Amino acid sequence: MRTRARTFRAAGAVLAASLVLAACGGGSDDDTSSSGDGGDTPSASGGDLLIWVGDGPGGDATTEIGKAFGEENGVNVKVEVLPGAELQANFVTAAQAGDPPDVVMGAHDWIGNLVQNGTIDPIQIPETVSSTIQPLAMEAVTFDGQTYGMPYTMNNIVLIRNTDLAPDAPATVEDMVAAGKKAVQSGKAEAPLAWPVSDTGNPYFINPLYTSGGGYMFGQGADGSFDPSDLGVGTPGSVTAYEKISALGEKGEGVLKRSVNTDNAIALFTDGKTPFLVEGPWQLTTIDDSKINYEVSPVPGFAGLKPASPFITVDAAYVASGGKNKTLAQEFVTNYWSRADIGAQLFEATKNVPANKDTLAQIEGDNPAVAAVSKAGAENGQIMPSIPQMAAVWDPLGKAEAAVIGGADPKSTIDSAAKAIQAAMKE
Amino acid sequence: MLLVKVVGLGFLAAVALFAALPLIRTDNWWGLAIVLAVTALAFYIYLSPRPVPLKYLLPGTLFLIVFQVLPVVYTVSTAFTNFSDGHRGTKEQAITAIEGASVKQVPDSTIYTLTLATDGDAATGDIVFLLADPTTQDSFVGTADGLEDLGDGSFEAASPGGKITAADDYTVLTVPEINARQDDITAFSVPTDDGAIKSQGLSAAFEGAPQQSYDEGCDCITDATTGNVWTADDSEGSFVSKDGTQRNLAQGWKVGVGFDNFARVFTNDTIRGSFLRIVVWNFAFAIATVAITFALGLLVAIALNNPLMRGRTIYRSLIILPYAMPGIAMYLVWREMFNKDFGLINRLLHTDLNWFGSTASSMFAILLIQLWLGYNYMFLVITGALQSIPSDLVEAAGVDGAKPFYAFRTITFPLLLVALAPLLITSFAFNFNNFSAIFLTSKGGPFPPDNPSAGSTDLLITYTYRLAFGGSGADYGFAAAVSVLIFLIVAAVSIVSFRRTQALEEIN
Amino acid sequence: MTTTTSDVPVATRGAEGDPPEVARLGSAKGGWFRRTGLSHLVGILALAFSIFPILFVVSASFNPTGTLSSSTLIPREFSLANYQDLFSGSFPRWFVNSLIIASISAAVSMLISACAAFAFSRFRFMGRRPGLIGLLLVQMFPQFLAIVALYLMFANITELWPSIGFNTAAGLIILYLGGALGVNTWLMKGFFDTIPKDLDESAKIDGATHFQVFFGIILPLVAPILAITGLLGFIGAINEFLIASVFLRQDDSKTAAVGLYGLIADPLTKNAQFGEFAAGAVVLAIPTVALFMYLQRYIVGGLTAGAVKG
Repeated sequence: MRTRARTFRAAGAVLAASLVLAACGGGSDDDTSSSGDGGDTPSASGGDLLIWVGDGPGGDATTEIGKAFGEENGVNVKVEVLPGAELQANFVTAAQAGDPPDVVMGAHDWIGNLVQNGTIDPIQIPETVSSTIQPLAMEAVTFDGQTYGMPYTMNNIVLIRNTDLAPDAPATVEDMVAAGKKAVQSGKAEAPLAWPVSDTGNPYFINPLYTSGGGYMFGQGADGSFDPSDLGVGTPGSVTAYEKISALGEKGEGVLKRSVNTDNAIALFTDGKTPFLVEGPWQLTTIDDSKINYEVSPVPGFAGLKPASPFITVDAAYVASGGKNKTLAQEFVTNYWSRADIGAQLFEATKNVPANKDTLAQIEGDNPAVAAVSKAGAENGQIMPSIPQMAAVWDPLGKAEAAVIGGADPKSTIDSAAKAIQAAMKE
Repeated sequence: MLLVKVVGLGFLAAVALFAALPLIRTDNWWGLAIVLAVTALAFYIYLSPRPVPLKYLLPGTLFLIVFQVLPVVYTVSTAFTNFSDGHRGTKEQAITAIEGASVKQVPDSTIYTLTLATDGDAATGDIVFLLADPTTQDSFVGTADGLEDLGDGSFEAASPGGKITAADDYTVLTVPEINARQDDITAFSVPTDDGAIKSQGLSAAFEGAPQQSYDEGCDCITDATTGNVWTADDSEGSFVSKDGTQRNLAQGWKVGVGFDNFARVFTNDTIRGSFLRIVVWNFAFAIATVAITFALGLLVAIALNNPLMRGRTIYRSLIILPYAMPGIAMYLVWREMFNKDFGLINRLLHTDLNWFGSTASSMFAILLIQLWLGYNYMFLVITGALQSIPSDLVEAAGVDGAKPFYAFRTITFPLLLVALAPLLITSFAFNFNNFSAIFLTSKGGPFPPDNPSAGSTDLLITYTYRLAFGGSGADYGFAAAVSVLIFLIVAAVSIVSFRRTQALEEIN
Repeated sequence: MTTTTSDVPVATRGAEGDPPEVARLGSAKGGWFRRTGLSHLVGILALAFSIFPILFVVSASFNPTGTLSSSTLIPREFSLANYQDLFSGSFPRWFVNSLIIASISAAVSMLISACAAFAFSRFRFMGRRPGLIGLLLVQMFPQFLAIVALYLMFANITELWPSIGFNTAAGLIILYLGGALGVNTWLMKGFFDTIPKDLDESAKIDGATHFQVFFGIILPLVAPILAITGLLGFIGAINEFLIASVFLRQDDSKTAAVGLYGLIADPLTKNAQFGEFAAGAVVLAIPTVALFMYLQRYIVGGLTAGAVKG
């Protein structure tokens, strides 16, 4: 198998090169003779430290930070900014091709898949460093008893409230619905609230209500690891949760709608058309631009039921197993990327909650909204499961959510979703 | 003429040389053989007077083979494997990954402060670890033979028990030097009684030992702490729990599975239940898309082909605009325009329709978007094709007193079809697998509440995507198998239609 | 391009004021409506249909808080902030890269497919029909794994020949050339077939080589389809981002489509940057439209230009 794959690759590469004869590539010959393959490093084994990061504001900041690290240590650091949506798949493919970067930045729920593909190494974080990181963030990057990444930001969704339309933070969903409806009746708003659902659902955004009603994704062992054999979808708790959600849906209160999605929810809020928005801190810069007066509070749960838990996602830096510069990669990830001043630099660019405690303490005063996001996460947040089986949950559960909000029967819909998830996990 | 040939062949020789040099340097003799063979073939084709068609076909064909045919071959070969997340590499790679992932710090061991150094010259000397224990303030040198005390006074440290900055007999490495010796450092470890000391970054080292290790004798992995044993199953590409109490180890490897992936397609309940319905819609979608884009493109092309009309340049330039916009974004824009509560369409029509909420309206919306994105392409091609139709034929019909529409129907249209029939077939094939058209708009919806895996507007390709990539990671082997089946369906249909148009080709 | 239009029999008809009646609505006789009114009506309707979603994008590009949500067609406030953001970053560099890559790959693939179409149209040889059908079939294969296969291939290429590997325009261009034969060959062959064979036969009797027949006689006659395949190739390459985003990762090697796609790729935050994305899409459409306006005289001028202009 191995030799076949290799022959194929070699044959392809060779044929490809012979193709230059047919068309362009006039300058190619000169290029090779000048750039050669050695570069300016003394040996072929080292070379540049290569970092991959998803695009967005964090990408540019990482480029700066990488450059500074390189200058400090007298080595070349190259940061490549790739489309975030395909970064994980491209990283795994690159690792398979034997050509991965040394460091990759990504969400903590990639870890399960990256580990099963053997693409990242566990890292040993000294106590002096790990004690500066928020415990929940460290928990998120722990998988099968090993630490795989250095957390730098952590996010959870919150309730963002237009204080002109709704002065007080609601303690329960019921309070929020009442306040939202009042704002609509008084003619000041068009929609009681903007909670992203979309035609195919969004389990990430509905998780506070789902957990408040008694649902969960996967059971957790004593050590916090997720158990793929204990699926929460389809349990009585999940059905109760969806019955409560159904009551808020299109055939009930009409405050949860499939027509609201992540694309238009933010526009509704920044246009001042709704008092409540359920979103994450990544939208705060847009909201700041809109000049709306707002405050941030935890997403409320149902009155008298369990607390509403938003998912906590952590962005972390990982050391690639197949990287060519492991020593520098480990150094960068464990000792440099974790620094409080680096965290502050990243915060300036992304406005995401810093995972570093010192950074958080440093910026909290000037950024009350971010502090509120962090507090909401610390109170009731739960780590989004990072086991690979989670990939089987999102799609069926999302569709069940959309169907229930559209008026379908909660029990049978959730049961079908559970069946589909079980089938997908078995494959 | 001769000059062109000489320059062309000289260029060819230069490229062959460019391709060959790195192959020689890396001892890639197979690669070199292929380069030589292709070059020789090219020289033969362009020097010999005989194979005239090949002179024109060679360049395009070579590109086609490498960048289109080889990926197809790769896909087909993948269909017979379990290639998927967790089963991408070789067994050796899986074992390395399992052992590597299980390396844990030895209980109660210390994390040393590390200084990387060499015994001798920085570029060639053996790697050593200069280690300081921050708790006991002892200092050691770690070599491939083990740990030894560093004599007092033979080294300098930043602080007592701190990082060692210089030592007699050893050369402390700078970061660029470390970078240069990277491979040696990665391979290096200091053996200890309980495991080995490995470096972690530039200034830390820890004593670790793999918890899970592979034993060739039993072809199995044993966990040192729990005693669990996983045996290699070479038909599945996984380490399987020996006593059945544990899950398979996550890291597996790629193995051939014969026709298993194809069998799965035919035995899967959800596939069997929805397959026929999806195939019918898939054909309807592809045929309707071609038909409506062609019809509208034709109508507009003919209308704007009127030489008496002013401002045709402006009309044409603006009409092809949708084709110039990034397709992915326009799909998203359209999807939002169809939004029930906030979309432009409901606002303009004064309706309150959930467009992607019912099967019929979802199909209608998708086709309208397809029309918008596709008719400009047809318009463009038809406009060009109209120019190539010998107008004396049309005029002859006109002289005979035929009405314009009659002339169009009997002469222009059949001639257009000759030129465009293959294009219509390709357009059909493209739309048959038009993933974005569905995935970025309805996402396959609406979905019946009791079946989240097969939507009313799913194409085979979107449906397959969900099955293959919606589990615990991407299942490429399965996706490849379905690709092969989809290909067989489209190819069969296309060849039949191709045969039909053969008759048209003879007209000319 | 030296034209030999005057030699062409099909072009030698029609005096001034008697335009070729290839196919059009209305007739030269009759009232205004019959002559051009209907054409204008169809044109205006088609135009409206084409334009209105694009107006939305244009409007979002001028709106500092422009979003994907189509609740407003007229921006709440008008500003050039998105364009300023766009041009203060790497976009100008990406834009130039896009133009280079799209122009070269469009021109070369036009030439390659014209060569192939000439062979398929003018010669009868063993493997012609299977070759034609094969071309069509290759296009039909679902490309789920193409990226993986190409990645593995280019990882090796990068190692051996870095100048045509990842992060190089040359590498991406030769990769795009893999698709040169596909649809274009068929499209062109259809046009080549409509040119009477007597033309090249008589030229050959006069001693012309196949090479001269191809470049001297056939190519000038198929200017419309050359222009169209060139334009299609250009549009295809300038908007391509799936493969390009994997291949071009260094900031200075990226194309505009890759950079723009990055602005909306993240499902959570894409909306926040839609205004800037819209601005980029508008800017990126300009060269395409300009190219089309330039090529239009070849596309519709073609054979009949001489006659219409007198």
